Amino acid sequence: MRRKMDKDLLTHLINEVNSMVTEEIKIMEVCGTHTQMIAKLGLRSLLSSKIKLLSGPGCPVCVTEEKYIDWAIEILNRYHVTVATFGDLMRVGGGKGSLLEEKGKGKDVRIIYSSLDIIEMAEKNRGKQVVFLGVGFETTAPIIALAMKTAFERGIDNLYFLTSLKLMPPILHYILKEANNGIHGFICPGHVATIKGADYFKFINREYHTPAAVCGFEAIDIVAGIYYLVKQITQGKKNAFQNLYKRCVKPQGNPTANLLMEEVFNIVDGEWRGIGNIANSSLGINEKYTRFDARNAFVVEDQQVKIRTSCECKDILLGRKTPKECKLFKKRCNPLTPQGPCMVSTEGACTIAYRFGEEV
Amino acid sequence: MKDKVTLRHGDGGKHTSILIRDIFHKHFHNELLVNSLDAAVFDGHHGRLAFTTDSFVVKPLVFPGGDIGKLAVCGTINDLVTAGARPLYLSCGFIMEEGFDMKLLEKIAVSMGETCRKTGVKIITGDTKVVEKGSVDGIFINTSGIGVVQTAYQPKSIEEGDQIMITGGIAQHGTTIAVKRYEIKVEGNMKSDCMPLNHILERLQPYMGSIKLMKDPTRGGLATALNEILEVSGKGVLLLEEAIPIVGEVKSINQMLGLDPLYHACEGRMIIVVDKQKSGEVLEEVRRCEGCEDAAIIGGFLPTNLPPKVVMDTVIGGRRIVGPLEGDMLPRIC
Repeated sequence: MRRKMDKDLLTHLINEVNSMVTEEIKIMEVCGTHTQMIAKLGLRSLLSSKIKLLSGPGCPVCVTEEKYIDWAIEILNRYHVTVATFGDLMRVGGGKGSLLEEKGKGKDVRIIYSSLDIIEMAEKNRGKQVVFLGVGFETTAPIIALAMKTAFERGIDNLYFLTSLKLMPPILHYILKEANNGIHGFICPGHVATIKGADYFKFINREYHTPAAVCGFEAIDIVAGIYYLVKQITQGKKNAFQNLYKRCVKPQGNPTANLLMEEVFNIVDGEWRGIGNIANSSLGINEKYTRFDARNAFVVEDQQVKIRTSCECKDILLGRKTPKECKLFKKRCNPLTPQGPCMVSTEGACTIAYRFGEEV
Repeated sequence: MKDKVTLRHGDGGKHTSILIRDIFHKHFHNELLVNSLDAAVFDGHHGRLAFTTDSFVVKPLVFPGGDIGKLAVCGTINDLVTAGARPLYLSCGFIMEEGFDMKLLEKIAVSMGETCRKTGVKIITGDTKVVEKGSVDGIFINTSGIGVVQTAYQPKSIEEGDQIMITGGIAQHGTTIAVKRYEIKVEGNMKSDCMPLNHILERLQPYMGSIKLMKDPTRGGLATALNEILEVSGKGVLLLEEAIPIVGEVKSINQMLGLDPLYHACEGRMIIVVDKQKSGEVLEEVRRCEGCEDAAIIGGFLPTNLPPKVVMDTVIGGRRIVGPLEGDMLPRIC
């Protein structure tokens, strides 16, 4: 019964959206889960072709820089450590190959699901050094901070963190600052907002006069978000902002998670794969926890990695192009041999366009 | 009997004989096996025969709902069944590393024996090799099988209007293995769907004239199997997301891990393409089989004016492409 009601509501909202739109409207989301849900639902096939849903830099694996993977591989090979990682980082290539290839050579690379599992792994293997690859956005950062704090409190001395933790606002400023970005509205990432709060994204409408909505991940959440945005856009309400994911997202976010992040990290500049260096866009490990920083504990060469291909990922991540407009898409670039960041993870815009056969 | 397998157990001498007698003959017991020397000899059968082979390298070796032994017997039985054959005889080859736990080997042999007894299939010849520690990951099993093709069944060309059926909930095996492999701490009734399918074939005998094609969606799951059907038939497939049976736990765990149930292996399910007129009756018959209560018609074929692809009408009424598996699925960052 509920399903039927949901479906009726969805159909109604989609029809409303399609009847409101008269000119092309570009809406960007910046969360891999949103990208994936939109494609899985086949949402584009139901919306007017005038509505372009763009996928911004919201997939953490996709924007992880090449040299980060190279560091991980170098530490693995030079120091014979155990490397623990999230699964989707395995296939990502650096300048020297991928962790999956290293595992194939018999190296000790383990896939974990929760960053708290590494505490147990380190405690059970006291004789071995364990390096955890902590990649993600504000969503993943608190749990990595908790793992580090726990390791600190328990005096665990064989666990290290190689982090590449990115922050959402700096990259959004980067996109929005460009005068001709052409983006009419933003679907803000519900997971990041759960941690940082809905207010974290209010700069989008305040500073850039672009409507934005915080959305959850069910079909109805996403469709309601699009409905809200299209309505504001077509009515010219450029300063509109709405938290549509109130069941999880508070205005100020989760204070415990934020305290944990403040306890362990400080804000530093960050490298974004395919985009480049962005000031204050990354979380570094602070002085108190510096002994856990794999980059201090192990000597790794900071080699300059040559950009290997001429793919269009930068323009895709910034909303200027779609995957199909890249000349490598579905040719040299595919999920097994990704040439750029958008094809490396299952949540990347190009992987999704490839798998689900639709324009992202 | 020692508690570990040693290299001597594979040297073809006395210890090998003891191992074969005390474990394999004991649990696979049948006249053809125990009386054979280098080859099993059996009477011929009239008609067409089906012959298949498969190797099993699953990790973990034991999982909820089965183990590598049950999997090795079911896998080959099911490959014969999808060819429309009644499975008769299996061979099995074991490659183990030295130090392999003898009790675990016996447990594996017991479940192979049980599955054989349940299905009336006999393991009539085998081979045992033991390799140095580290040369294989515990144990690898190969099984080959021979079956008699039922005269009424042969694959037929697929026509617009034919229906696609799945004999039970999808992704249970693949998800169970993923939960174990990634040591995810979830509680629930997750169980592999690993089971032999020959009873379905027997029940469907009267409908063989209406069954166009059978296929088991093992590696690569339902999505990959349907893409293979597309390759063979040239006919585009239309899946209905809402109709695909999938238990709640499987759905939730996959959502959590960022894995797609459409790509998980099933080890006790079959895709049946059936003439529309008989599809209701066939579905009823299938649902009467043990373990197939959730069988469902999950789609059909696209009209020929549309590009031949596997597409799915989603729960919200959208339509998207469902491609084959490319590269292993790996859990994502969450």
